[in-house]
Amino acid sequence: MADKTIRVATDVGGTFTDLVAFETDNRTGEFSIVTAKSDTTPPNFEQGVLNVLEKGGIDPASVDFLAHGTTVVINALTERKGVKVGLITTEGFRDTLEIARGNRPDFFNLHYEKPKPFVPRYLRRELPGRMSYKGEEMRSLDLSGLAAIVDDFKADGVEAVAISFLHSYADPTHEQRTVEAVRKLWPEVSVVASHQITREWREYERTNTAVLSAYVQPTAERYLSRLNDGLGERGFSRSPYIMQSNCGVDTLEAVSRIPITMVESGPASGFWGAAELGKLIGEPNVIALDIGGTTAKCSLIENGQVKIMTDYWIERDRTSAGYPIMVPVVDLVEIGNGGGSIAWVDEFGKLHVGPQSAGAVPGPAAYGRGGKEATTTDANLWLGRINRDYFCGGAIEADMEAAGAAIGAVGGKLGVSPEEAARGIIRIANNNMVNALKLVSLNRGHDPRDFTMIAFGGGGAMHAVALAAELGIGKVVIPAGASVFSAWGMMMSDLRRDYFVTRLADLKRGAAEGIEALFAETEERARRQFAAEGVDPAKVRMLRYGKFRYQNQEHTTEVLLDGGKVTDDRLSSIETAFHETYEREYTYRLDAPVEMVGIHLVASAEVGKLKMAKRDATGTSPAAAVKGRRKVDYALEGVHEATIYDGEKLEPGMAFTGPAIVEDPGTTVVVHPGNSVTVDGYRNIHIMIAP
Amino acid sequence: MVAVNDPITLEIIQNSLQATADEMFAVMKKTAMSSIIYEVLDMGTGITDANGALASSGAGIPAFIGVLDKAVKVMVKKFGAAGGIEPGDVFVTNDPYYGGVTHLNDIVVAMPVFAEGKIIAWTANIAHNSDVGGMAPGSLTGEATEIYQEGLRLPAVKLIAKGEPIRPVFDIIKVNSRMPDVLEGDVWAAIASVRIGARRLAELAEKYGTATFENAMASFMDFGEEVSLKELAKLPKGTFELSEEQDDGRVFNVRITIDEEAFTVDLRDNPDQSASPVNTSRDGVMVAAQMIFKSLTDPYSPANEGSFRPIRLLTREGSVFHAKEPAPIGFYYEIELRVYDIMWRCLAAHMPERLAAGHFASVCGTFIGGIHPDTGRQYTIIEPQLGGWGASRGRDGNSAVFCGFHGETYNCPAEINEARNGLIVDRMELNVEPGGEGRYAGGHGIVMDYRVRADNGFLTAGYTRSKFPAWPLDGGREGSPNYVEVIRKDGSRERFAFVSGLMTHTDDVIRVVTGNGGGLGDPKERDRAAVAEDIRNGLIAPERAADVYGPAR
Repeated sequence: MADKTIRVATDVGGTFTDLVAFETDNRTGEFSIVTAKSDTTPPNFEQGVLNVLEKGGIDPASVDFLAHGTTVVINALTERKGVKVGLITTEGFRDTLEIARGNRPDFFNLHYEKPKPFVPRYLRRELPGRMSYKGEEMRSLDLSGLAAIVDDFKADGVEAVAISFLHSYADPTHEQRTVEAVRKLWPEVSVVASHQITREWREYERTNTAVLSAYVQPTAERYLSRLNDGLGERGFSRSPYIMQSNCGVDTLEAVSRIPITMVESGPASGFWGAAELGKLIGEPNVIALDIGGTTAKCSLIENGQVKIMTDYWIERDRTSAGYPIMVPVVDLVEIGNGGGSIAWVDEFGKLHVGPQSAGAVPGPAAYGRGGKEATTTDANLWLGRINRDYFCGGAIEADMEAAGAAIGAVGGKLGVSPEEAARGIIRIANNNMVNALKLVSLNRGHDPRDFTMIAFGGGGAMHAVALAAELGIGKVVIPAGASVFSAWGMMMSDLRRDYFVTRLADLKRGAAEGIEALFAETEERARRQFAAEGVDPAKVRMLRYGKFRYQNQEHTTEVLLDGGKVTDDRLSSIETAFHETYEREYTYRLDAPVEMVGIHLVASAEVGKLKMAKRDATGTSPAAAVKGRRKVDYALEGVHEATIYDGEKLEPGMAFTGPAIVEDPGTTVVVHPGNSVTVDGYRNIHIMIAP
Repeated sequence: MVAVNDPITLEIIQNSLQATADEMFAVMKKTAMSSIIYEVLDMGTGITDANGALASSGAGIPAFIGVLDKAVKVMVKKFGAAGGIEPGDVFVTNDPYYGGVTHLNDIVVAMPVFAEGKIIAWTANIAHNSDVGGMAPGSLTGEATEIYQEGLRLPAVKLIAKGEPIRPVFDIIKVNSRMPDVLEGDVWAAIASVRIGARRLAELAEKYGTATFENAMASFMDFGEEVSLKELAKLPKGTFELSEEQDDGRVFNVRITIDEEAFTVDLRDNPDQSASPVNTSRDGVMVAAQMIFKSLTDPYSPANEGSFRPIRLLTREGSVFHAKEPAPIGFYYEIELRVYDIMWRCLAAHMPERLAAGHFASVCGTFIGGIHPDTGRQYTIIEPQLGGWGASRGRDGNSAVFCGFHGETYNCPAEINEARNGLIVDRMELNVEPGGEGRYAGGHGIVMDYRVRADNGFLTAGYTRSKFPAWPLDGGREGSPNYVEVIRKDGSRERFAFVSGLMTHTDDVIRVVTGNGGGLGDPKERDRAAVAEDIRNGLIAPERAADVYGPAR
């Protein structure tokens, strides 16, 4: 056994490419962390990754496990930097992409602008052929017109082709044949069919998913293959793993075929980290909160399981219908409220925070880079919650004059003092986040009091206690290295694939056989893929979920089906489990027939995740970590003299009480009066909130 | 606890009301059994104060925003005497003559919220139910001459007493419907929605204190009024009038007077109520006025009672816009839309930056029923249609969007339609009939073909703007008409705007065609590149383009 294991997480963001390396001593299990940052290098994103490895002093040849996350896909979509796509669809349905669902969320606004389709009408072409919803061929596929379509696409400069036919979720044969025919006619073009990404119904959502996947495919494919080559040239002998939106990693080859699955890979790794940390410290029910510079994101973890859904949309909010992407994405709520969110007063004297952000440039006023607008970070500084003499870990000298002027301007408009204005900013920002947290908990029928909050990202620890108290949550955990927690999550990820398949079935006797066959067939598909990739079959785990509803309903409730094969004898207990889950969420149950609408299969395999070593209490007094004391304004609880702790000096077993502040280079933990704090064997900070 | 007036606390309570109304909406959407509710989202949720004044509304459709307060007010009046309303009670109405505003299919469920022993608010929910009895499947028919023929009437009654369902009421509701299980499921979904909302509001009041909670609601209503008055001041002042002939030959008249304090809509000079179900309650017309007023003044923030305070509405009892019992009102929504559209048209020429050219302006309610050949079960499709919106100054209109009456409303995917209803959707595409051209063009309507798979089905529809299409502005071309066509297996065709209970058979095609929106500005001034794009995209034939836009230069 080698002395040490090196695991590396790299993450390509819009501005920076980050690296976090974990070097584990294989005898003691202890690890050290190296971080590095370099510029993102569009359009050759792989270059930034190679640069940051070099900057961090990591020799790719020595790396045992490399995971890679990226915002390249989401940025290509939102910045409209993909390629020209041609769509081939069922006769009579070329306008599905433009008709969309016809909704007008901003309904009093008579100037509403419907989102434009990613493919213009002249590049949306049709082929005759028709499947039924049961997957039976009603009209055979006629490919005679395909050559002319391909010629037109070539002439029009199309670089990627998306194929989406009606009911392909039930039988993909027509799509498969068309893919083959396109490849034959035009081998060099990038092509994707909807069934390769999803086997669920709703033609607009599935078609749009195929189109957006095609739109980013050439870019993503090129960069992933160059990344692979670049790493290989530098001696990295394994296959890199790519972070997915479903909280798992996947192989580079698989992701290159369907890159759209990376769309929310950033937040997913943090939420997975929260689930893994929860398991490690005996907290299976977690509300995870990630506060960054521009947004706050949250997700709920029940019994150690993240919730994965396929109801994901980009650019969707109260003013726009957005675009659906039907891929497995961790169930999260994201709001425009982060450290850089701007506080503003409307023409009626009402205070708002976000969603506009000051970004990295000019950043909060206190950065002293010309930012004139007050942000949440400025308010946190002004109230003494962030140490003005240790701003950004001491990397930036806080420009308190600029911060004061910005907050003063807000106060002026509200007719209150700067202190009052700063408290107002914190309270409004917290309220925005509380509403987001309610969306993932109360709105889904969960009582937040049954959960522990795990908060991370640069700003999570600053607001976590106030938010938890508001929701009645008794305990907050701030992970060690909270600011690089997402990278840690990536290190803990399994190779994971989520299969969603639409198939209608009742739950009467005799139905079990068909349901079991669907699971078995899907599991076989998953196993074959793992086997082809050389994954040890013994490591493969399957989790089966059924999606159920009362007959005539549309929306489904997902129920975990553990306990092996689905048999007729088990159907009634499955039905009971559905009734219970349903009633918890919606307050009532019905004496109506229950039906299955489809399955959700999770196939995963462990691929060398980080093993954490727990240390015993050191017995050192917390006084050893005290940096000093200062006055901190806790908004609702007033001003208190707080003890300031150096986060890097906290050791297992230390315990202290609030009011206190813990500072480390990446984050500030705000501990309120009455809280009691302990440091666990992994150096995570546990904060107990008195009820 | 003493009342707090700190603006941040009040703001936080208001945000929480909004979040609660949204949560109520989400619950209803996920639990309903009718596709008209869960897919089309023909529903709304809201919160009122103890007296029924609208405090906050959820997502959904704008035409339902101003309905719930009116229903709650009737319940307060009817049951408000001591002991009439108790914790855990839930009330129900669907009758426009008893606070229901719309038509009998729309059931309003409302629940009082108690704190410190008194009512502090109401949560309410409205949704279109698939069948509430009456003379025709789906309850809507152009043949009705009295409201009695349009279904079961629930004249604001108690449905749940102190948490206990009143079984006889449920039994009466169920037995009157052709789809009893679906109706029961949908009513329970509505109950779940108001209960969850009530629970949240009680928590809020407990946390901040009842007085503060009430303060927050009142102050935000005053704020809504302040915003409206401020914008009202920016509108051109004066009296504006319009007369417009309707598809059915009636002439509707509107006179709007705008001054510093009020937005007065005078609809007194209009025809008597009809013996057909093309009437609306006065409350319904008020909703139309509220919608146009909100769009003109403050389209971006949620509406509450205060937002609508400057509106004055004048109607004549016994007229089409102020129907008296027992006038039938099934197609009330087309009448509300006509009022909405003539108010819009009346003002558009005077407020060019606020109002675009006319849109297809009909719900195009389409009701198709029959037996699903694969399951043997009865199905009923009840759906509004997408259509084209008018051009505005600087931009072409949107294609394929629901009419101004609807908002966060979704069409039904063909894949789900075929599975659930046993029809074949042969096509669903943009309508490229001529119409709506202009310097800025109106958006396109749609063409959708339903092929029927079994005999003895039915079609009912009620479309307006079928004879007189969407109106243009500034020299643009008018849009194209809304209609439904039945193409029989033998190739014969019939075209309709209103049709009730038409029998359909295997392989008949029901073709829904919705109109293009009105154009704006002289077509000859349209950007040539835009014309070339239209031709390339197959949205206009080259010959028509040359004719309307002038020869290519």
